[in-house]
Amino acid sequence: MLKTLIGRELLDNLMTFRFAAVLLITLLLVVANTVVLIKDYEQRLESYNTSVQTHHKEIQEKETYSAGEVEVDRPPNPLSIFNVGLDKRLGNEIWIAHNNVPTLWEARMNASDNPYLNILSSIDIVFIFEVVLSLMALLFAYDALAGEREQGTLRLVLTHPVRRGHILLAKYISAMLCLLVPLLLSLILAMLLLTTTTTISMGADDFGRIGGIVLTSIAYLSVFYLIGLFISAVTQRTGTALMLAMFVWGALVLVYPNLILAIIRSSDIPEAKAVSAFNEIKQVWDEFDRERKHFLATDAFPGEDPTFNINGMGFFYEHFPENRLTLLYLYNSMMTFGELDEKFEEEVPHAQNYFQYLIPSTINTAERAWLIRKQALEDTLVRKSNMKRTLLKFSPVGMYDAATQAWAGTDLKGVRDFFDAVRHYRQTVIDYFYNKNAFASRKWFAADEGAADWRTLPAFSFKRSGVEINAKRALPDLFLLLTMNLFLFMMIFLVFIKSEV
Amino acid sequence: MALLNITWRELYDNLNSLRFALATVLLLALMLTNAVVHLREHPVRMQKYRDAATQSVNTLTSRTDLYDLAQKGPGRLYKKPSPLRFCADGGDSLLPTLTDAASYFWSTNTSKSFWRMTYPSATPNLKNIDPDATQIDWAFVIGYVLSLIALLFTFDAVSGEREQGTLRLMLANPIPRHTVLIGKFLGAFISVNIPFVIAVLMNLLVISTSNAVHLGVDEWGRLGIIVGIALLYLCLFLALGLLVSACVKQSAVSLVILLLIWVSFVIFMPNTLASIASRFSPARSYDAFQEDRRQKRRAVLEAYYTQREKTEDPSKRMLIQSEYVTEDAMQDGRLRQAYLSERIAQVSQAQTITRISPVAIIQHLLEVFAGTGLERHLQFVDNVQLYDREYREFIADTERADPESPHIIGIRDGMSKKKVSPEAIPIFEDTLSLSKDFNAAAMDMLLLTLFVVVLLAGAYLAFVRVEV
Repeated sequence: MLKTLIGRELLDNLMTFRFAAVLLITLLLVVANTVVLIKDYEQRLESYNTSVQTHHKEIQEKETYSAGEVEVDRPPNPLSIFNVGLDKRLGNEIWIAHNNVPTLWEARMNASDNPYLNILSSIDIVFIFEVVLSLMALLFAYDALAGEREQGTLRLVLTHPVRRGHILLAKYISAMLCLLVPLLLSLILAMLLLTTTTTISMGADDFGRIGGIVLTSIAYLSVFYLIGLFISAVTQRTGTALMLAMFVWGALVLVYPNLILAIIRSSDIPEAKAVSAFNEIKQVWDEFDRERKHFLATDAFPGEDPTFNINGMGFFYEHFPENRLTLLYLYNSMMTFGELDEKFEEEVPHAQNYFQYLIPSTINTAERAWLIRKQALEDTLVRKSNMKRTLLKFSPVGMYDAATQAWAGTDLKGVRDFFDAVRHYRQTVIDYFYNKNAFASRKWFAADEGAADWRTLPAFSFKRSGVEINAKRALPDLFLLLTMNLFLFMMIFLVFIKSEV
Repeated sequence: MALLNITWRELYDNLNSLRFALATVLLLALMLTNAVVHLREHPVRMQKYRDAATQSVNTLTSRTDLYDLAQKGPGRLYKKPSPLRFCADGGDSLLPTLTDAASYFWSTNTSKSFWRMTYPSATPNLKNIDPDATQIDWAFVIGYVLSLIALLFTFDAVSGEREQGTLRLMLANPIPRHTVLIGKFLGAFISVNIPFVIAVLMNLLVISTSNAVHLGVDEWGRLGIIVGIALLYLCLFLALGLLVSACVKQSAVSLVILLLIWVSFVIFMPNTLASIASRFSPARSYDAFQEDRRQKRRAVLEAYYTQREKTEDPSKRMLIQSEYVTEDAMQDGRLRQAYLSERIAQVSQAQTITRISPVAIIQHLLEVFAGTGLERHLQFVDNVQLYDREYREFIADTERADPESPHIIGIRDGMSKKKVSPEAIPIFEDTLSLSKDFNAAAMDMLLLTLFVVVLLAGAYLAFVRVEV
């Protein structure tokens, strides 16, 4: 019986104009945009590769260890084609130095792109599904019950010994089958385009992630179909059902996400918690500075001059850059000379002695400041933006977006993985300095007796987290979507059972 | 008379419908949020601008030495935030708010590099980890929500009546068909306008009663133009709805067609076309620009060295050096300006191509009249460049006015030692000109009107030929 019902519904849906129209428009949009998105990704990849090469060359050319700020690049994520998330927006170039534990807030954009292009908005494949598929699901659902009721066919069907639950199930299954056609077909076309481009190499993990995105898309589609079915079940006329469905769509997809973010947009003024953390960090560095000055005052060299009167072709600077919003405060200093006059030979041991003390002390202070900063950043900036993400999840669009970002690895956690790797790499660089005994060496600030040796410096490499990590991050939202499905289905069932025909 | 009757009937039908109530609620919620957000953010923006601009002017007027003024330049120049930013955000937060007269490029014992205008670019989103969102401004409410509402009010205007058979009934009376169509159009126009106008008035009421935002005569005029444009845009979608409704037999099919047109033209077309078009004429990369700049500057420097070799006469050498200082600054300024134009041209070209989509047209029009977005930024850059010239002329005039000076601009000893009075120094003023705005908007207004006329004519033809 169920089979007959499904067959009938399926035929009804497939033969409609809306099915053909939706199929056509989805395919068109997905294919056109995938081509654009692939081009965009290729461009970003190229600029990443150039940047990596430039940075590698730059560091090899540094003559002293002190001048060697290692720069590291963030590769573009190929799955940003599906959901771009934060991948394109956050910085993709960061410096690593002994005096700061780097975070994503210190990252910069490598200079290859035109920043004025930022005012043009761009879309990704998930956005197309988000808008078109939800609209389509509602269009398939609004007259499913109300229409049959109006035409009287519902009464006809119910005169047969059919369970009402079966009717619902048949309608649901057949409509979902219909809706899957444009979704899967367009995805297959997108995958075809992706696999034919040579620049994008996908591993088994990536296919797993894409599978996750497909699964989430189906759950999202189903939520909107059920919302439409619910509206159809509670209204008597198709006209009313349609209007309600359209306005619900507008409210959930178009209005709510933007409205809620506009209302709680954060200001530039740091909160009290951030201010106190900043002061604490500043105190740590002030203490460091006092000790440093004390060291300078008490060492064998007269005066407190941190350059020990050494001068020549090169430069020296020291300052404390700060950013109260991102809680950045550190001691930044560099002294580097290509050649040293012989008259400074007496001062050199003093400087060596000073740097042998100063750099480990800076590293320690940076670690201490990082402990405070890490916690404070979590408590202020990260917490605030996570609260916004939670609020967005009151609309299925928010859940869908969050889950697909997690699968693609372009969500905040995915991007932060990179910066975890960067922090890890900083440790490697520092170990390298220790191994080379760089701080106590003359090469820290002067290159006259041979330049610094960067040849054996381990290269930075970043691997995106495995698919199981992505799954772990995506599952809560996927689970929410599924729960919503179940809840909606039960509601529809209850309403439909009780309704008069 | 018949027209009035039909309009009344349509209006009455609509006012009692669910869609009218829902549209009112949606528009009111959006417009009130818009007003509240603007009141919260605009004063902060204004304060920031005023503080920064005052500081910059103070630094400038505190200089009394002509050489200082000529070498350091006018400092930072700030873009004045528009009080009408609630109408169209225009990605203003992603555009730079200042230009910087920088002079830190080199210094020797005898001279320093002169100032040139630099155009820093803004990437404020680098530190922003929040999820993306479209700004809720009038452009969003009108461009996306109002157009959807217009379609929802008209999709069944003809097809629905035909389905119910009331169309046949109506046309049995001696009423010309165009009267019926105009009546339907007017009815829908008025019934969409009621919630829209209420929402707009509430929005303006909230904004104008607050002390935080001051709207002058000019701003009210601009608001009037913006509302007029919005109504024209509304007509476009009403005409589209009527056209499709007249062509199609069933309302359900009519709605599907309209929604798909809406989704592709309003939501996807601007984004996709912009992404494609921005690739056609990419600006040089920053590295390429720097390389070019380095080469050209080196050429000027080498020309200076060879010139200097030729003479031993110190006064002549001074003259040559002064020429170099000026040429170095002027050339670098020109190169930077050219690179800025290149970058902006890439974006504005991409924006031009998106004008096939009506939502891109209205977005642009609203930005122009609200004084935000790229068009406004171009005006700001124009203002800066005008001021740049004015400032240089001021330096040259002051120098000429002093008969005791040797008139060698670029060298401290070669310039007038007279104190410059702070009142004489020209101050940068960022002004907006409505006539320039009209120029920028003319093309779009014509395009929008053309769309409306074509669609209305199409709807008329379709309705005349319709079989009942």
